[in-house]
Amino acid sequence: MDIRKVKKLIELLEESGIAEIEISEGEESVRISRYPPGMAVAAPQFMAPAPQAVAAQAPAAAAASAAAPAAPAADAENVVTAPMVGTFYAAPAPGAKPFVQVGEEVKTGDVLCIIEAMKMMNQIESDKSGRVASVLARNGEPVEFGQPLFVIE
Amino acid sequence: MTRRTDVLRLLSDGAVHSGESLAAALGVSRAAVWKQVQQLDAWGLEVEAVPGRGYRLAQRLDLLDEAALRSALPEAAVARLRTLTVADEIESTNEALLAAPALPPGRMDACLAEFQTRGRGRRGRSWVAPFASGLCLSLSWTFRETPPQFSALSLAVGVGVLRALRTLGVAGVGLKWPNDLLHELRKLGGILIELRAEAAGPAFAVIGLGLNVTLPEAARAQVAASGLAVASLDDFCAVTPSRTQLAAAVIGELERVLTEFEVRGFAPFADEWRAADALAARPAFVVQGESRVDGLARGIDEDGALLLEVAGCNRRFVSGEVSLRPVA
Repeated sequence: MDIRKVKKLIELLEESGIAEIEISEGEESVRISRYPPGMAVAAPQFMAPAPQAVAAQAPAAAAASAAAPAAPAADAENVVTAPMVGTFYAAPAPGAKPFVQVGEEVKTGDVLCIIEAMKMMNQIESDKSGRVASVLARNGEPVEFGQPLFVIE
Repeated sequence: MTRRTDVLRLLSDGAVHSGESLAAALGVSRAAVWKQVQQLDAWGLEVEAVPGRGYRLAQRLDLLDEAALRSALPEAAVARLRTLTVADEIESTNEALLAAPALPPGRMDACLAEFQTRGRGRRGRSWVAPFASGLCLSLSWTFRETPPQFSALSLAVGVGVLRALRTLGVAGVGLKWPNDLLHELRKLGGILIELRAEAAGPAFAVIGLGLNVTLPEAARAQVAASGLAVASLDDFCAVTPSRTQLAAAVIGELERVLTEFEVRGFAPFADEWRAADALAARPAFVVQGESRVDGLARGIDEDGALLLEVAGCNRRFVSGEVSLRPVA
């Protein structure tokens, strides 16, 4: 099975409340479990919403505006993460216009950036449609696997 | 195709041709010939006007011969080729293949050009190569599934080009991580791979090779001015292979390399890459964005990542630019 499929599955698992996932493809099958066998699965599901609850309890009026900009970044569904380790490039060439800029609309399949590793320029395509709310990586800097790159609303 | 190319084919032997004979051969006026000759300048070619006799190219040209190329290709490569394009002038061979219709797995497209108007090196740096002076070749391939150590594809391709050169009797070429081709630490060629991959689907790769075969003085000076030590095959080959021979050997060898890499990954190529490592055990530094790390080049790991010994420990790099550190 393609290692990238497995990585994608792990990401899916992390983004969801699911504790375990099993996929079969022909003769191959893979089971990914979030917790060691026997461990209570209910607890993490319970814990996940907790930080949000804390934020919500913050003094109402004053905190509301300050908390708002941070909210989209926290929503994993809107975040495009780096599918690989490498150097992040926002534009096709130095000095060229970036592939996408904050405020622009993108469609699924549009190229968002290039991640270079071992002199292979990987065009990273958007897996969602929406408006680019923020660009989280800096041009020319190294990025890690899973590092958030873009927020698309 | 264009008249400019027709004029060039007649002049490529480096002999003096009179305006009349060129005009007669092409069925145009002498004025039209003169106009085309003036335009050869745009391809980086020097044409001398010999008073009273005619025109002569400053340097004999070794033009690509598509028919000879096709007949020199190994059968396995011919079977996989969907298209083989030999262009006189093109923006970029990589760009042409990236824009081609979806390539099915098991097939490949190849594109060569005598001259690229927007030849690209890494990160949009332009690749300097006057008309017919080097090999500008791109090859595309669709991987059904991601092979093991997929990121080491660029290193495996470097090994493939070395093998092709060796079959033509060219020795003394080394590799600088990940895949620059060097002769005595001077840059002979470069490889740029552009990839489009889906998270869980096939990966489409366009492999671009730029190789200096002959480099006219003017181009050499231009590259030298940018601070890069440059080499071309005719610097050190007793008999320089023709560009057509080189193209056939590279396409044939890369077909073999990609076929094996798709199934077995980088492992079958790792030792050959290490044997050609031009930086091994030398002081080097890696620049990544704004940071620089100094150390001792320690070859590669099994994934093709660069190892740099820093304070007794190997650090692993998958991106960045590695350079030799002059010993003080």
